[in-house]
Amino acid sequence: MDLTRRRFLELTGSAAAAALANELYGLPELNAQNSGGKPSAALSELAEVALKQAKKLGATYADIRINRYRDQVVALRSTPDVANGKINHVPAVRDTGSFGFGVRVIANGTWGFAASRIVTRDEIARVAAEAVAVAKANSALQKQPVRLAPVKAYVDKYTTPHQRNPFDVAIAEKLALLEKANGEVKAVPKVFSANSVLVAKSEDKFFASSEGSRIQQYILQCYGQVTAAARDLERRISRQRNYSPSPYTAGWEAIEEHDLPGNGRRIGEEVVEHLSAPPVAPGKKDLVLMPNHLALTIHESIGHSTELDRALGYEANLAGTSFLTPDKLGKFRIGSEVMNIQGDRTLPRAMSTVGYDDDGVKATQFDIVKSGVFQHFQTIRDQAHLIGEKESLGCCYADSFDSIPFQRIPNVWLKAGTKPMRLDDLIAAVDDGLLIDGRGSWSIDQQRYNFQFGGDAFWEIKGGKKGNMVSRVAYQSRSTDFWSSLEATGDQRFWENHGLTSDGKGQPVQINAMSHGSAPSLFRQINVLLTD
Amino acid sequence: MLSRDDAKKLIDQILSYSKADDCQVTVGERDLAQTRFAVNSITTSGRSAGVAIYISSTKDRRTGQVAINETSEEALRKAVAQSEELAGFAPANPEYVEPLGAQKYPEIPAYDAATAAAAQKEILGAVKAAVDASQAKGVVSSGYYERTASALALGNKHGNFGYATGTRAEYSLTARTPDGTGSGWASAEGHRMAEVDGARAAGIAIDKAVLSQKPRPLEPGQYTVVLEPAAVSDLLQYMFGFGNIFDARAAEEGRSLFTRRGGGTRVGEKMFSEKITVRSDPFDARNPGRPWVGTVQADIGGVGQFFFGGGGGAGPSFLPAEKIDWIEKGVVKNLSYTRYWAEKKDAKPTPLPSANLVMEGDDHSVEDLVRSTERGLLVTHFWYIRYVNQQTVQVTGLTRDGLFWIENGKITHPVMNFRFNESPAKVLANVEMLGRAELSDGRIVPAMKVRDFTFSSVSDAV
Repeated sequence: MDLTRRRFLELTGSAAAAALANELYGLPELNAQNSGGKPSAALSELAEVALKQAKKLGATYADIRINRYRDQVVALRSTPDVANGKINHVPAVRDTGSFGFGVRVIANGTWGFAASRIVTRDEIARVAAEAVAVAKANSALQKQPVRLAPVKAYVDKYTTPHQRNPFDVAIAEKLALLEKANGEVKAVPKVFSANSVLVAKSEDKFFASSEGSRIQQYILQCYGQVTAAARDLERRISRQRNYSPSPYTAGWEAIEEHDLPGNGRRIGEEVVEHLSAPPVAPGKKDLVLMPNHLALTIHESIGHSTELDRALGYEANLAGTSFLTPDKLGKFRIGSEVMNIQGDRTLPRAMSTVGYDDDGVKATQFDIVKSGVFQHFQTIRDQAHLIGEKESLGCCYADSFDSIPFQRIPNVWLKAGTKPMRLDDLIAAVDDGLLIDGRGSWSIDQQRYNFQFGGDAFWEIKGGKKGNMVSRVAYQSRSTDFWSSLEATGDQRFWENHGLTSDGKGQPVQINAMSHGSAPSLFRQINVLLTD
Repeated sequence: MLSRDDAKKLIDQILSYSKADDCQVTVGERDLAQTRFAVNSITTSGRSAGVAIYISSTKDRRTGQVAINETSEEALRKAVAQSEELAGFAPANPEYVEPLGAQKYPEIPAYDAATAAAAQKEILGAVKAAVDASQAKGVVSSGYYERTASALALGNKHGNFGYATGTRAEYSLTARTPDGTGSGWASAEGHRMAEVDGARAAGIAIDKAVLSQKPRPLEPGQYTVVLEPAAVSDLLQYMFGFGNIFDARAAEEGRSLFTRRGGGTRVGEKMFSEKITVRSDPFDARNPGRPWVGTVQADIGGVGQFFFGGGGGAGPSFLPAEKIDWIEKGVVKNLSYTRYWAEKKDAKPTPLPSANLVMEGDDHSVEDLVRSTERGLLVTHFWYIRYVNQQTVQVTGLTRDGLFWIENGKITHPVMNFRFNESPAKVLANVEMLGRAELSDGRIVPAMKVRDFTFSSVSDAV
């Protein structure tokens, strides 16, 4: 697609494209909270242009996604002014959007893709032809023809359940909440600065395929965070502590359920304590990990290692491969009997929850690990057959209209324990250990064996009791050793979901979001390091 | 690509809709052609042209920002109005700095017409050569080739305008042996596609895959390492890229490696080996930069700053590009000042060293460094590096795709990968020998021989 000068000016002056965009995505019913409705007839008509063009030019399969994205960030930093010591409250208010379509085809047994931000009938026909041309050119190097797992033809409309759209909440209301949160942090003596942020995201997604699917979705996400920082100039040490309630696919009500200001006061007090906390004594220790910490450990060690495309070598040049190979399906022990992991794109409020994936496959839930044994990879339509699966498990996603959809992590979560178990019960079972809350640094090798994680706050556990904070903590383990050491996990009352918002994978790199839930959990004898 | 005249017209058009005191606009266009392959076969490829328009409006020190990818008159009018509406809701920014007036930007030749015109045909040639060579050697290859052409323009109501174009090509390849015990990697890049020697990169990756089969375990500990330029570049991005380590405000507020005990900064101190000289140089023909520094968000603070606890933004917006020394013979020469912080501290505004980094090398090859090593490890590159302590710049990460034992100046056998816990600041202090500087991942850096590099555990990953 060569955007020549003439074409750029032509499109710049095109009122038709904008009018069409508004017509398609300015309609209030799109955001209505209902599922099972009919997708837009106007979008369906546009999609036909791509599907017919692709077929005419020899494609055996085609789909089109016509998407609009919107991100809004409202943030506030409260830092002392060097001149007078008073607090400067520095705001940031930003709204970004993008709109366009992407056409994917199979021709000569090979994928082709092309995209454009100009949503007009002529441009859709041109881009569909380009996608077919790409496929035909690439087919010279194709070893085996692409094969798609079967899927039903869905005609449906899906909307993230929500009560109040975060984009309808006034900026002033958002800033007032952030001012209050920062104020609580700064009210703690010895706190240096406070930062807070609220983020809202939406995706208007329309998908149509040559197999008859017409699916319209409105996905809504929102989250907030408050961070406290403290410093000690004499010792040249600074620390941060944050309160980061889970990102959700939900409305503003999810933000209101969490007390950012009240937790601001708490983290302010904790960051000051962290500043003077003694260094951890390194060695083998029992770890009680809170759900907001364990989310990242689940993500790195299980979320990524059970991606089928990695296991097959498709990510070898960047994200890596996996210690889990197809021959291990159904028989390889990853962890203890307590370990039960679900893959899930239906979990309410979770960040990867949708009605349908970007292959047009209906969202589903499946076992990844059952009683410690590996059960299923995450799959998409063009790879399921490579391991003998008859259907895709719906894990296809593209982060933009002009990104190529591929396999991404769904919500992956650890089931709660079946016996009554509170956080205090887990702590009581530890003689020498640590309680870890929140996320710090994280790193894992390219086959997901060896990892090192930090945290946001650490407390010593001695003789079954939570003690004072310690600092400079990280722990190292191998994925299978770590999960084999899982002794107990809290019951359903203490199960929490925690969303991650920026997981990168692929070339060019794409970003996606997903949630990882768990209850607080106890891991025995993990190698704890003293960092500098 | 979007021409200078068309960019000026478009920005003037957007500014004409503005009713705010200040309005800054950037317009970017990027044409991307890319092909990805895996398991010796193409997986995805495509070509796309993206446009992004950023509008930042300020009235009475209240700022709202909007970004869109639509260019119709209606969309542009709406975006300007939306940014002004957002500005109306925002409180006044006590650290706001007025946009710059007209600047004289240097001409930096960074655009190559042949690269901009190259498309799938040229890329497929490099991919096919890699696949053929891999099959001939019995290894399985995966890789990625992309070339981009871009035009970027900026303008504001204070009369400033700038325009720049650039091209870039990047290729990388990972070759693995079918038994899963060997893996090799190499890359090639340049602002001209003609400089990207894909065949050479493929040959290196394939040979490394074969040589690295069946690696032996080694005890974790401190070792002398020979870091290839890619490994040096991987590490140094945590010193000179991410984390705003050179931010003067962070240093003066007590949150940085460059904080002096009791307050102030460590500018002027010899903190590193005298072999180390590092600068930003957007005029270096090996890796040409833009005529200006910073972004539209820079002076008012990017969102990342709010998460990572920085203060005051990532650098000055749209000052003309210049060469800046950061470390000279081991001595810290400069820190980065936003325009706001520079005004407060009576300093010159300077950007962060995140772009066009050049570290001086010496006239030695990697083989020379290996030959000079009695016992040590040769590192191809690193993987998944993250800060453990941003203040000391301690990071953790792993070796990947070729780690080899050196004994008496010769490579003897492959070694199982390690996790490391180390600070690039300490690495720069412990350098013993430098190789010739070359372009790797956007930085011009030499290979390095470094003593006492800390490996903390063994990884089973190949």
